[in-house]
Amino acid sequence: MNDPLLIAVIIRILLVLILGTAVLVITQRSLRSLFTIYSIQSLLLALLALVLYWQEGIFSLLLISLLTLVSKAIVIPLFLRRLLRKIPIKRDLEFRYLTPISSILVSIGLLFGVYRLFYKLSDELNFEPLFLLGTVIGVSLALMGMMVIFSRRKVITKTVGYLTMENGVLLFGLFVAELPFIIEVLILVDLLMILVLASLLAFGIDSTIESFHERLRNFGMEAEE
Amino acid sequence: MVVVVIMTVIYYLLNPLFILLISPLFMGIIKKIKAMAQGRTGAPVWQPYFTLHKLFKKEIIYSDNSSFIMKVAPYLNIGFTIGAATLVPVLFLPPEGSVPANIILFLYLLVSAKFFMALAGLDAGSVFGGMGSSREMSLSAIAEPITIITFAAIAFVLNTTDITQMFATTASNSLTEFPTLLLTGVSLFIILIIETARVPVDNPETHLELTMVHEAMIIEQSGPNLALMEISHAVKQTLLMAVLINLLFPLGMPDSFTFAGVALGMVSFAAKGSILCVIIAIFETSLAKIRFFRLPSFFMVALFLSFVTIVFELIL
Repeated sequence: MNDPLLIAVIIRILLVLILGTAVLVITQRSLRSLFTIYSIQSLLLALLALVLYWQEGIFSLLLISLLTLVSKAIVIPLFLRRLLRKIPIKRDLEFRYLTPISSILVSIGLLFGVYRLFYKLSDELNFEPLFLLGTVIGVSLALMGMMVIFSRRKVITKTVGYLTMENGVLLFGLFVAELPFIIEVLILVDLLMILVLASLLAFGIDSTIESFHERLRNFGMEAEE
Repeated sequence: MVVVVIMTVIYYLLNPLFILLISPLFMGIIKKIKAMAQGRTGAPVWQPYFTLHKLFKKEIIYSDNSSFIMKVAPYLNIGFTIGAATLVPVLFLPPEGSVPANIILFLYLLVSAKFFMALAGLDAGSVFGGMGSSREMSLSAIAEPITIITFAAIAFVLNTTDITQMFATTASNSLTEFPTLLLTGVSLFIILIIETARVPVDNPETHLELTMVHEAMIIEQSGPNLALMEISHAVKQTLLMAVLINLLFPLGMPDSFTFAGVALGMVSFAAKGSILCVIIAIFETSLAKIRFFRLPSFFMVALFLSFVTIVFELIL
């Protein structure tokens, strides 16, 4: 079963599916589906790490796969869904700077841009095509997550954008730089912290950041301004 | 040589005929599944055949304001669609090079059919027809580039613009050779939904002023003319379904003409088509109609996936 061709095919299919979920994260309006998509994306990433472990046999890849599976595919979506039950909004309809249509067009541009960039680098870095592909998709995924952060107004969708971005970084890390395992763990802890903060702010999470500032000002917490 | 000619002739006779005959069935299946999903019993799956039979017996009524366009449009429409039906093999693959099955020709034939349908909608001078045609054309203006890019991506992946060769390539290789076809498969599915006027884009069930696009265009048609328009709509749906099926699941498609092979091809295509119909019906029931001006974002998903396919192929 340890056929490198088969593994390459599986990796390609997984990358195809991950990009599919990325475009859904950009356009999806219903929060519940957004979380489900995120959880599927993380599951695909965990599978990818598992396949890479199978190919290369580096133990930390297996650990990354397990960690991703448990934290990002199960715990974080569970957490987000619990949060959703507490807040009165079910859909995020507000966009700024970019409508979903232009976000998709921009992300096409991003993908091509990243591809051109890494294509130039790939000769000097001796990338295999598959690894070039993984890198390009990882970086684009991170940039697309960043786009979600600034094009959505609701805090909870911004969180999903941040989580997507982190998935992109993880993907990039899987293919290029062998990130030390400890850093992966730290990033995960960061993610969980962000979620805890988000739920602490649950009373204001249905509102936009701007109105939140307003509320803080009322409490006299930004008196220095 | 003689064998090739005979096979080509058989192909030209059998392929469009089969598509014509099976298309209303697919329409019926989708209607039935949708009815069941809504808790109704629904009309039997054979109902479209009865409806067409009834329509062919009725008289044609032309509006006083209509010109010759109204009279010729249904025939041109069905002609273009049947022309397109000769280009998409569903029963068996014709001998190589015998059918000029160019993908661009295929798209242009479908667009020409749509053009005459829209023209007939305008011709009678009724408010609804004009509205339907104008909507259809504005949607087409957005959907057409996406369709072309999707088919360009497929041509790029499979290295040919010939539909027969595309099907031959996918039939002789497994899907794992071309994983990017999965992405174009999603794009093709979206195009299928757009072109056949299905729910997020248009509602095929109603004659409501607010929602209808396709139905508004053919509202002035009557009797056999209406039947021809309906058939051409159904055939168009089957053709796009056939492209999707034969690219992604070419199992059971014989590569040359034998009686057993063609029988198998018929059964397998009908089975796969029915499964795809069930998927379309479920997709339709699970979504609400998207507001007209928000439709482009639905189309853009197809565009994005096609572009991604091209980038994938550039790298690998």
